[in-house]
Amino acid sequence: MILVLLLAIPLAGALTLARAPRRAAVALHGATAALTLGAAAAVVAAVGRAGVLTALGGLLRADALSAWMAALIGMVGALAAVEAPRYVAPGAGRRFYPLLHLFVFTMLLAVTTDDVGLMWVAVEGTTLASVFLVNFERTRASLEAAYKYLLICSVGIAIAFLGTVLIYFADVQQFGHAEHALHWTTLLRLAPGLPPRVVELAFVFLVVGYGTKAGLAPMHTWLPDAHSEAPAPVSALMSGVLLSVGVYAVLRFKPVVDAAAGPGFASRILLALGLLSMAVAAAFLWTSSSYKRLLAYSSVEHLGIVCLGVGFGGPWGVTGALLHVANHALAKSVLFLLAGRVRSAYGTADIAAVRGLLTRMPRTGTAFLAGMVALMGLPPFGLFTSEVMIFGAGFRGGRGASAALGLAILVAAFAGLLRATQTMCYGVPEREPAPEAAGWRAVLPIGLALALLVATGLAWPPGLAAALSRVAAIVER
Amino acid sequence: MTATTNLLAFLGLVVALLFVWRQSWPSRLRLFAAQSAVLALLATAVGVLAARPGLVVLGAGFALVKVWIIPRVLRRIAAGAPVRPGAPGRSSGMALLVAGALVVAAYVVMLPVHAATRLPTQGAIPLAFAMALIGLYVCVTGRDALGHILGFLVFENGVFGLAILATYGLPGIVEAGVFLDVLVIVFIMEVVVVQVRREHASIAEDRLRELRG
Repeated sequence: MILVLLLAIPLAGALTLARAPRRAAVALHGATAALTLGAAAAVVAAVGRAGVLTALGGLLRADALSAWMAALIGMVGALAAVEAPRYVAPGAGRRFYPLLHLFVFTMLLAVTTDDVGLMWVAVEGTTLASVFLVNFERTRASLEAAYKYLLICSVGIAIAFLGTVLIYFADVQQFGHAEHALHWTTLLRLAPGLPPRVVELAFVFLVVGYGTKAGLAPMHTWLPDAHSEAPAPVSALMSGVLLSVGVYAVLRFKPVVDAAAGPGFASRILLALGLLSMAVAAAFLWTSSSYKRLLAYSSVEHLGIVCLGVGFGGPWGVTGALLHVANHALAKSVLFLLAGRVRSAYGTADIAAVRGLLTRMPRTGTAFLAGMVALMGLPPFGLFTSEVMIFGAGFRGGRGASAALGLAILVAAFAGLLRATQTMCYGVPEREPAPEAAGWRAVLPIGLALALLVATGLAWPPGLAAALSRVAAIVER
Repeated sequence: MTATTNLLAFLGLVVALLFVWRQSWPSRLRLFAAQSAVLALLATAVGVLAARPGLVVLGAGFALVKVWIIPRVLRRIAAGAPVRPGAPGRSSGMALLVAGALVVAAYVVMLPVHAATRLPTQGAIPLAFAMALIGLYVCVTGRDALGHILGFLVFENGVFGLAILATYGLPGIVEAGVFLDVLVIVFIMEVVVVQVRREHASIAEDRLRELRG
């Protein structure tokens, strides 16, 4: 029941907001986001108690992995929702709020359905819901970004559909048109009997397809454009959780492939894609002139690290990867929101034009610096912990060469980020920025997210370790 | 059954090759509609021969969406665009050669699928996959928005054909979702392309080069 509510709230919110009067829009938007977050928390609690929730005759199913993702979507959704009214003129609410909640709905559907076909439909839905959000500012650049985003992601996701068809084919060939043949639970049960070569072929298509949504190189080309042109709350949602939803889809298929074709195949592909993404991103972290694009390329890098963790496997690798997904979601959404404030104060997205952030906008600047330090993978923030877990798993699991190569790329990426951070945080700007917003409301959500990042870095809250090991057990059997 | 499905899939592939050869959008649009009609027929034929009434319905729905609605929208998108994108006199020889190589590649890639089944439709599966590959090729080499969309739609057609031939159709909820997605994509494309044309007075791809690095 709570599972149905989790989906019904953002959907109903979106439909109501599409017809709501202008005055009520912001309040209704806030209520929808708050209720969605509440429902996500309730789902996490219920999954913690019962292990697995199902609804609508098994079409919806939430296990620990779904709950993990739903919690992230709820949190980043709430962060973005708090920030959204700064970017939406009173008259433009109808073009923004309904689509934002529809976007959240499609992501939540993707992570809570048991049917991998419906999951595909939902992931495609995320693109359709967010195209006009990318083009919200209706500039030439945002239009171009929206066009690329729609085209590249539609093609990518169609390739994932090809993979889904082949998985279904393997299933039907072996076991006939069983009921629920496309349900993940059925696939997992039948996986040991599926023809291994067909499943391998299907996985290649699935990784390329969902990898496009996850922003993995070389399918990442839409990402820096869309992330940098979208309004900050949308960038936060895309970078923080949309990419992770792409990874989630791959994670669902990995145990199926491992059972059908042996454990090495999926890992090798994920390691290769992960290293390639990190390398491509590191190169662009050195050359990007805009800080929004810098943050976007850093997402490519971090999603590469996540792939590396899943590829290394073992309890440490997978746990580290899932923790990294959460850490990156928090850090990156905070940074995109702050980048939006910096941009509106300085009036430019150029790294070189933003100087003296720490003195001119002390609160925004401090939070931005903290976020960048987290993103570089330095303690005390959670990304440090998850990166140590991931690379530790690589060295322990006999993948020393890949892990060493990954670490080398990580250092290059670190230096690129550091260079940009230093330019922005210190020095004297050519043109004085507008003063930053006062009051606790602008600081509170971002401070909370940063505090959570410190918590995942220094002292895990009670229950986190148990939750993570339950999630990891789903991916790595 | 084997003869019928082989023939229809082969026809679909021939249309895809013609699609690569022709460069003017009105003829490409007609070829896309023709290919969709062939695939609707394929779904209906498999439905009748394998006694699956669901597939007959699917074929009818496919014809409605891809032979009637989508070409109408595409005609609206293309209205006013130059009939041939790019410099005149560019030959299709190279593109056809690549398409030919893709057909061979499709047979190689589909070997494991071929080996895993004894379906009467198995011989046609690589043909459908070749259609998909050719569509993908047209899409990534397209020189204007219309070329991208048409390539994408031919790719979708190939995947649809593959699904029909290899699995006799996916579960209804998924097929419905796929139809809805394709329709929404084309409608969103229309809105986006209309804005692009307003901004740039053209839908040629080389106008979309602002975002770099």
